[in-house]
This record gives sequence, structure tokens and C-alpha cells, in this order.
Amino acid sequence: MNEELDSQLSAMFDDELPPAECELLARRLSRDEYLKARWGRYAIVGAVIRAERGVRLNAPLAGRVNAVLLAEPALAAHTAPRDRLQRRLRWWQPLAGGAVAASVAAVSILWLRTQAPTAGAAQGDSYVVPRPAPSAIAVPSTELANYVVAHSMFSPPVARRNLLSAFMTSEPGNAVAEEPQSDVKIIAQ
Amino acid sequence: MSADASDLSLVRRVQRGDKGAFDALVLKYQHKLVKLVMRYVRNPAEAEDIAQEAFIKAYRALPQFRGDSTFYTWLYRIAINTAKNAVVSRDRSPVEYDLDRNNNDESYDMQGRMKDSETPEGLVLTDEIRSTVNAAIDALPEDLRTAIVLRELEGLSYEEIAAAMDCPVGTVRSRIFRAREAIDRRLREVFEGGLGRAEELG
Repeated sequence: MNEELDSQLSAMFDDELPPAECELLARRLSRDEYLKARWGRYAIVGAVIRAERGVRLNAPLAGRVNAVLLAEPALAAHTAPRDRLQRRLRWWQPLAGGAVAASVAAVSILWLRTQAPTAGAAQGDSYVVPRPAPSAIAVPSTELANYVVAHSMFSPPVARRNLLSAFMTSEPGNAVAEEPQSDVKIIAQ
Repeated sequence: MSADASDLSLVRRVQRGDKGAFDALVLKYQHKLVKLVMRYVRNPAEAEDIAQEAFIKAYRALPQFRGDSTFYTWLYRIAINTAKNAVVSRDRSPVEYDLDRNNNDESYDMQGRMKDSETPEGLVLTDEIRSTVNAAIDALPEDLRTAIVLRELEGLSYEEIAAAMDCPVGTVRSRIFRAREAIDRRLREVFEGGLGRAEELG
């Protein structure tokens, strides 16, 4: 093997090789089994000189790590799609936030609508049937109606409406009393 | 010279998807890491398992490594945490009492080595590697031996060694390389005549 290359490898092992040369040699080291084996033996020499007692110098640790990592995706392949996804997500993240907020609000409103009657009913066994509200259509007395019809030719339409309105507001009891009872529907809640 | 240029160049390759570069990092630091973990667990086989787990965690976490600290400092922290967690989970599991265990470090060390399916051939090979390297170091010319020992044992930089040995940095680099070559020549004979290089180097 090239002595200069081996010399560079030794310097690289000691972190004494210029960065540009390190880049080139790292590329070669990662692929060249001869260089890797020599690199591994340099590490063993260091371990012996430092008298690292109890450490097995021939332990197959690197092989075991390598075997585990074989099953894993390479880091670039593993991280690149995530980066791409993050880039893709970046522009619509604010929109997504707004959409989520709107969805939550809509669901809350719907939920409240469906829950409101149930919540009222669940408060007790007894409940009060509300009195029916007065009908919007008030029926005037027959006498007054006849009077208005009989004299309609003498009054303009606006005056007739005013007269009818005045009667309805001044005598509400009469108007409600004339509602037919059979038309009132009570819906139990 | 960047303090971590070598490791960083390997780390960047791993981050770009080159698993082979991670092999080089494991080969470089496996002994240091096992030694570190053995502060927490005494059994070498258990320490190797924890170191293996730490390496795998480090690999998976490498996309987050930005190089703020050196790679080994970062790996060191992962290994310490992995070892602490292993000790905690082991303490929670049913205790296996070893009535024969005595407090002598060396005998317990041997017991641990034998207990965990370490083959006698493997133990012999570790001892043979150790004695071969020591013999090769003893046989080195003094300037080469001093250079490699200052580097590996004292952890000095080439510049510091050059200052200590009163010689140029280039000479230090050459001496260390020649020392390694001489030792490696002897070491290769052990591996090639032993159990097979791939298995032994892991």
C-alpha cells in the first residue's frame, strides 16, 4: 500500500491532518477495508499503551454495531424525506392552524346545540310545560270585522289597517280569547 | 489544525448516509468507550453491551449533532447516560447474588470475563495482542517509542511533542507513523495467524 497514504492515516487518527485532506481520506477510509483494518489496529495499539485493563482487545464490538445498523436506513435517506415534508408543510402551517381553530369552533357549536335540550331534560324528573305563546295571528271579534267590512268603502286602506291595529293592541285579551282551543298544540319536551 | 477535523469529516459522511464512516468511528473509540463504561459496570461483557447500545444511540442521534463539542465528548455523554440507565434498570430487576464474589479486582475481572461466554481462545488472543504490542514498543528506537508514548499515553499534540522532543512537527508525524508501522507489522502476524482478522477487529 502507499506509504504516504498510511502516513496520512496515522496523522488522521491523531487529528493532525489538515481538514481538506481529512475529507478525502475519510471518504476512502469508509470504503477501503484494508485502511479500516489498519485504523482498527492503530486503536488497539493505543489501548495497549494506555493499559486499558479489562477491555477485550479482540471484542467484536464494531461488527456487532455494524450488524445492527445494517437493518437501519442510512441517515441521509432517513432524514431527507422528513426535511422535504417539513419544507412542504411550512407554507400552509398558518392556514392549517386557522382551519383547525374553525373546525373546533364549528364542532363546539354543533355539540352545544345537540346537548342543550338534553341537558335541560336531565335536570329533573318533573318538567314544566310552557304556556303556548300567543299566536301571531290575532283574530278580531266578528262584530268589529263586520263593521270594518261594512264601512270599508268610506275609508282608505291605510286607515282600515290602522283601525284594526289599534283595536288589537288595546284589547289583546279579546283577540287571544277568540283563538280556537283545538288549534293549540303542546309539545312535551 | 482543527482539533476534531478527523472525526468531524467522518461524522459528516455518516450524516450524508455513509455507514462505513461510522465503522471507522466505532473502531477508533470502542476500547475507550468500554473502559469508560467499566466505571459503572465491572463485567466486561456487560460493558461491551452498553457500549454497543451507546454507539447505536449515537448513530441515531447523529442528525442532531452540530459539532458544538467534539464528537468524542458528545459520545462520552451518551455512553455515561446509557451506563447509568443500565445500572438503574439492573438494580430494579431481581438481584442475582453471587456468594462467591470477593472484593479483589483482578479475580472479579477474570470471573466476569469467564462468565460471559468469552472463549479461552479469545482471552489468550487478548493477552497475546497485549504482549505483542508491548514487545514491539520495547523494540522501537527510543525516538520512535517516546513519540508514540507521548501521543497515546499522554495525549499530547504533535506540536507539543515537537516542543518536548525539540524537533519539527513533520518529524514527529513521521516518527509516530514509523512507530505504528513497526508495531502493526507484528500485530498483523498475530491476527493473520490467529482467529481471523474480521472477527478480531470486530
